[in-house]
Amino acid sequence: MAAAQAIRELDSHGAITVLSAEADPPYYRPLIPFIIDRQKTADEIALLGQGPYTATDIDVRLDAPVTAVDPQAHTVTVSDAELLHYDRLLIATGSRPHIPPTIQGADTPGVYALRTLADARDIAERAARTQHVILAGGGMLNLKTAFALLERDLAVTMVVTSPEVLSQIMEPDGAALIRDALERAGLRILTGRNITRVIAGPDGVAGVLLDSGEELPCQIVCIGKGVRPNVEFLEGSGIHVDGGVVADEHTACNTPDAYTAGDVAVTFDPITGERMMTALWTNAVEMGRCAGRNMAGRPTAYTGTFGILNATQVAEVPFVSMGIVHTAGTDHETHVVRAANTYRKMVFTEDGERLIGAVFVGDIRHAGLYRHLIRERAPLNGLKAAVIGHRLHYGHLLRW
Amino acid sequence: MKEEILNKSIDPTVHDMLAVAEAAGLETVWERLEQQLPQCGFGEIGVCCRNCTMGPCRIDPFGEGPTKGVCGATADIIVARNLLRMIAAGAAAHSDHGRDIAHTLLLTAEGKGGGYEIKDAAKLKRLAAEYDIPTEGRTKEEIALDLAKAVYAEFGKQEGPIQFTRRAPAKRVELWQKLNVDPRGIDREIVECMHRTHIGVDNDYVNIILHGLRTAISDGWGGSMVATELSDVLFGTPKPVWSEANLGVLDEKMVNIIVHGHEPTLSEMILAAVQDPELVALAKEKGAEGINLAGSCCTGNEVLMRHGIPLAGNFLQQELLVITGAVEAIIVDVQCIMPSLGALSACFHTQFISTSYKAKFPGATHIEFHEEHAYDIAKEIVRTAVEAFPYRAPEKVHIPKEKVKLMAGFSTEAIVGALGGTLDPLLDVIKSGAVKGIAGVVGCNNPKIQHDYAHVNLVKELIKNDILVVNTGCNAIACAKAGLLVPEGAEMAGDGLKAVCKALGIPPVLHMGSCVDISRILVVCAAVANALGVDISDLPVAGAAPEWMSEKAVSIGTYVVASGVYTVLGVAPPILGSPEVVELLTAGAEGVIGGKFAVEPDPFKAAQLIIDHIAAKRRALGI
Amino acid sequence: MKEIFVRLDRCLGCHTCEIACAVEHSQSKNLFGAIFEHPTPKRRLFVEWVAPEHKLPVLCRHCEDAPCMHACISGAITRTPDGVIITDEAKCIGCWTCVMVCPYGVIGRHLETHTAYRCDRCPDQDEPACVSACPTKALVYRTVEEFSADVRQVAATEMLAGEGG
Repeated sequence: MAAAQAIRELDSHGAITVLSAEADPPYYRPLIPFIIDRQKTADEIALLGQGPYTATDIDVRLDAPVTAVDPQAHTVTVSDAELLHYDRLLIATGSRPHIPPTIQGADTPGVYALRTLADARDIAERAARTQHVILAGGGMLNLKTAFALLERDLAVTMVVTSPEVLSQIMEPDGAALIRDALERAGLRILTGRNITRVIAGPDGVAGVLLDSGEELPCQIVCIGKGVRPNVEFLEGSGIHVDGGVVADEHTACNTPDAYTAGDVAVTFDPITGERMMTALWTNAVEMGRCAGRNMAGRPTAYTGTFGILNATQVAEVPFVSMGIVHTAGTDHETHVVRAANTYRKMVFTEDGERLIGAVFVGDIRHAGLYRHLIRERAPLNGLKAAVIGHRLHYGHLLRW
Repeated sequence: MKEEILNKSIDPTVHDMLAVAEAAGLETVWERLEQQLPQCGFGEIGVCCRNCTMGPCRIDPFGEGPTKGVCGATADIIVARNLLRMIAAGAAAHSDHGRDIAHTLLLTAEGKGGGYEIKDAAKLKRLAAEYDIPTEGRTKEEIALDLAKAVYAEFGKQEGPIQFTRRAPAKRVELWQKLNVDPRGIDREIVECMHRTHIGVDNDYVNIILHGLRTAISDGWGGSMVATELSDVLFGTPKPVWSEANLGVLDEKMVNIIVHGHEPTLSEMILAAVQDPELVALAKEKGAEGINLAGSCCTGNEVLMRHGIPLAGNFLQQELLVITGAVEAIIVDVQCIMPSLGALSACFHTQFISTSYKAKFPGATHIEFHEEHAYDIAKEIVRTAVEAFPYRAPEKVHIPKEKVKLMAGFSTEAIVGALGGTLDPLLDVIKSGAVKGIAGVVGCNNPKIQHDYAHVNLVKELIKNDILVVNTGCNAIACAKAGLLVPEGAEMAGDGLKAVCKALGIPPVLHMGSCVDISRILVVCAAVANALGVDISDLPVAGAAPEWMSEKAVSIGTYVVASGVYTVLGVAPPILGSPEVVELLTAGAEGVIGGKFAVEPDPFKAAQLIIDHIAAKRRALGI
Repeated sequence: MKEIFVRLDRCLGCHTCEIACAVEHSQSKNLFGAIFEHPTPKRRLFVEWVAPEHKLPVLCRHCEDAPCMHACISGAITRTPDGVIITDEAKCIGCWTCVMVCPYGVIGRHLETHTAYRCDRCPDQDEPACVSACPTKALVYRTVEEFSADVRQVAATEMLAGEGG
C-alpha cells in the first residue's frame, strides 16, 4: 500500500491494482492487538484514508491470492484461475507466522499465531470464555498481545526460551527494566523453558506441557516465534528466491519490471553490508515507498535497513532498540549507563569511530538522531561524548 | 580517562573524583551548568531588568526589538543599575563579615566571648592609635572595647570618613574626595545602591558607576579591612607557616572535618574544639586515630594563615570533598556554599552542618553558632561529626592521593618582617628591576573556565616575567595545589625574581589570605606608594581575577580599580549590552580614577596585558 | 505556505519561545494558569546549545516527505492541506516509532498522556506563538521564497561590500 501511495503521488493516471489474500481491506497490522482488547475497531485501524494513505483511485481486490507469476509474459495468476497482465509488478506478499514443529498439537483450536485481523477477531471472541492465556515467545508481538489480554482481565503467562524477554532485540541487561515493568503489570514470565505439547480438551486448548515438566492450564495459546516469507507461489517462476525474494539496490528483482518490498524481500544491512530480511512495519513502508518510486519511473536507491529497529511502550516503560545491540563476545566498543528507571547502551565500531547500535529504555528522547548517525555511518568526530551522554541534539548535526 | 572529564579541570584530584561521581550517578556543579546551557543572552549581557513589575524588560541588542524598558531606561542605564546591585551585594557580604568580627571583638572585650581571646595586643594598640583611642596604662580589654565600638560605628555612620580609607596615599584620598566617591558609612553606601537602582531614581550611568566606586571603596578600605584587621587582633596576625593542600589531606584513618565558608569566628573555634582531649578520646573510641581538620574556601584560608591547617580544596571542589565518602562533617557558615551539598551529603554519612542564622540550606543540620557560647557550640558540632564516624561506608571511600606542600601566612606584617623590618628591600628590587612589579591575583573558580587553568597559568606567566605575585582566596588555593607556594617554586620564575626569592627563602607567590584579606594587598600598595611618594595608580602593579564568579568579586574588582590599579578579568561581567558602560570601565575610568578593567579569558594573553602595563608604569616612574 | 525559519545569528538563548509555545498549548493560554495545569503543557521547540557559543532553536520542519508519517504504525500522523504534519492524539498509541525515525529529534513524548506531540504551527493564531514571542526576531514566519530572498539580500550586500561597493 505504501508503494501504491508513492506511485500515485508521482503518477496520477496509471492503473494500480493491489491483490490481497486477506478478506479484510488493508489495515495497520501493528494495531491488531488492540482488536483483542477492543480499544480499536476494524474501521479505526483501516489503512486507506488514514495517515499518509490519502490516494484514491487504487483498485484493492480482496480474497485474491496470487498463486503463480510469469515474469517473461508479465502475468500473474489469481486463485489458480484468473490471469492478469502487468507493466510493473511488486511482490509484497509479506510473511506468515512460524509454528515450531517441536510444539505438538499446534493445530488444536484455541492455538493462534497472531498475524491477521481475522486472527485478532478470533482471539477476541475466544477470550470471552478464557481465564488463562499462555504465550510462547518473548518478542515484541507477544508483548503487545499480552497487554491486550491483560486489559481484558485475563491471567497471562509468557513462556520464553531465552533467559530474558526481548532477546531478539536486546541483551538481558537492557530488558531487565522492561521485565520488571511487565511483572508489575501482572504478566507472569517463565524463562528458559519451551512448550512441548498442547493439551486438548472438549473446547479446544485446555493446557500446555513444558519441557520442564510443568503442566499449565489455559484456554488460549499464542505463538510468537518469528515469521517466514510467503514465497512458495514463486517456485518455478524464474524469480530469484533465496530465503526471500532477492532485491537489488533499487528494490528490483532479477527479472525486468518486477520489484519487491517488505517482509518477503531480501535486502541488506547498511552497517554490516550483509544480506538480511526484516519483519518490521517501518522498514516495509520505507522499502515499499522506494519500490513505488522505482516502479513509477523515478530511480531511487534503497539505503538498506537495520535488522533491529524497534520502538514501543509497555506498562509505561518506553524503549527503542536500533542497529547492532548484541555485543556479548564481540569487540564492539560498548557504553552502558544504568539508572533507577532508565537504561541505555551505545555500541560503536571497534575503533570507536562510528555508532552502530543503540538501546534506550525509559528515556527515548531524540532516538531519531542516533538512528541517523547509525544509518549514515557517520564519523563521530567530537560528538562521541554527547552520544554517550544522551545529550545529542540537532544543533550538533547542523554544525558539523 | 574520558576527555570530557579531563577538560573540566587541570587538577588530577578533580578528574579522579568526577569519574567516581559519574560512576555513582552523582550530580556536580559541572552537570548543572550543562543543563543550564544555553543561558539567556539578555542576562549574559546585562540588559534584563526586573526592578519593577512594569517589566521584566529586555533590550534587544540587535536593535530590532525594544531599545528601552517600559520606564524608558536604555541599555546603559539597565546595565549600570544591574552592576551597581552586584557591587552592593558583594560589598554587603564582605562588610557584614566585618561587622560580625567587630561584634565578636566587642563581646570578647566585654568578657562575653565564649572562648575568644585577644591574641595580638600589639596590633590592637596600633589600630587603636588610628582611631585616636588612648592605650597607655589600659588593659587590652579596655582598649578593645573602645576600638570595637569605634569600628562598629563605621557601619552606621551617616558622614565619613571611614577611618581605614585614610591609610591610602593622600593623593588617592584627595582624588576620591574630588570625585565625591569618598565613602560616608559602610552600610549607608549599600543602602544608597538599592535606593538609586529603584525604579525612577538614578538614571545616569556615570553617576551610578561613580556610586559603585564609592560603595566598593567602603568595602575594600572599609568592611573587608575591618574584617582582616580585627581578625588579626582576635586570632593573631599571620606569620609564615607550612601546610599542605588538596584532597589528599583527608585521612582515611581519622575523623575528617571540613570547615567551609568565610568567617574565622567559627573556624577558629572548631579548630580549638578538635583538639579538645575529650573529643579526641571520643574519636578514638569510635575507631578513628584522631580528628583531622581541613579547610575549604576562605575560612580554610583563615585557619591556614594563622595555624597551618591544611586546605582540602577550593570552590569547585566542595562537592568532590563529600564524594570522597571520607568526610564526617562539612561545617559551613556563610558565602560560596552550594545548596546542593544537602542532597549530596545525604548520599553519604556526611553531616552537613549549617551554623549561621543567615545561611540555612536544604538538607542541613542547623546548629546555630552564637559567639557567647562559641566553644561549647563548637564542641557540640565536633561531637556530631565524631559520632558520624562509625557510619562511614568503607566501600564508598575514595581519597585521591594528591596533596602539595605550601607556605602561607604572608600578612603585610609578615612580609615586612621577612624583609627585615621595612619595605626598603622590596622597593630596592623593584627599582633595580629584579622584580618588575607586583600582581595581585585573586578570585573564585567558575565552571565555565577549566578549573584552575587560568589561575595557575596566569600566575606562572607573571612570575616567569619577574613579577612578584601576591594572592588570596581560591586562586591561592589553586596555586598551592600546583606547587607554586613553596620556595622551590622560584625555579619557575624569571632570573630576577628567582634570585630575590632564594635570598629571602620565600616562594615567588605569596599567599596573603582570604578574600577579605585583599585589603592586606591594598595596605601593601599604600605603603609602597607612600614610600615612593606617589599614588597607587603610579605603581607598577596590577590586579587579576581569572576565574571569578561571585558578586563579591565585582565589588573587589571595583575597589581595586578605584584604588588606581589596572585589573584584568578572566570572565566578562554582564555589561556588554552597553557599549558606553564598557567604554567607561575599560578606558574612560583610567583618566578619571587612575585604574581600569580589561577582560581577557586567555591567561597567557592576560599575563601579557599585565606585563605590558607594568612595564609602562615603570617607564613613567623612570625606573 | 510559510515555514518557521531561524536566523541563527540572532538567537540569544533566552528560551522565551519555549515558554510561549507551552503557554499556547495550554488550556488557560496564559503563563500563570499554564504552569499549574495537568497534563503539563509542553513546549514543542527546543533551544539547544552547541559549544562554544552557538544557540539554536530546533523544531519540527514539517517535512514534505515526513519519515514520521510513513513510519507511524497507527496512521495517527497526517499532512494537512496547508502542509502541516499533525499527530492525532486520539489515534496515537504511544509506540514512539516516530521518535525513533525523526532526524531532528523534535517529537516529544508526553509522560502523562502517553502520546506523541510536536509543533502544530499554532493553528489558532495568525503567527506561531514562538515567532510572536521572540524578542530578537530570530524566529521568522516566511515562505521559502521570502526567506531566501532576505538571505540573498544580505549576501548580495556583503558580496558588494567586499568589492568596495
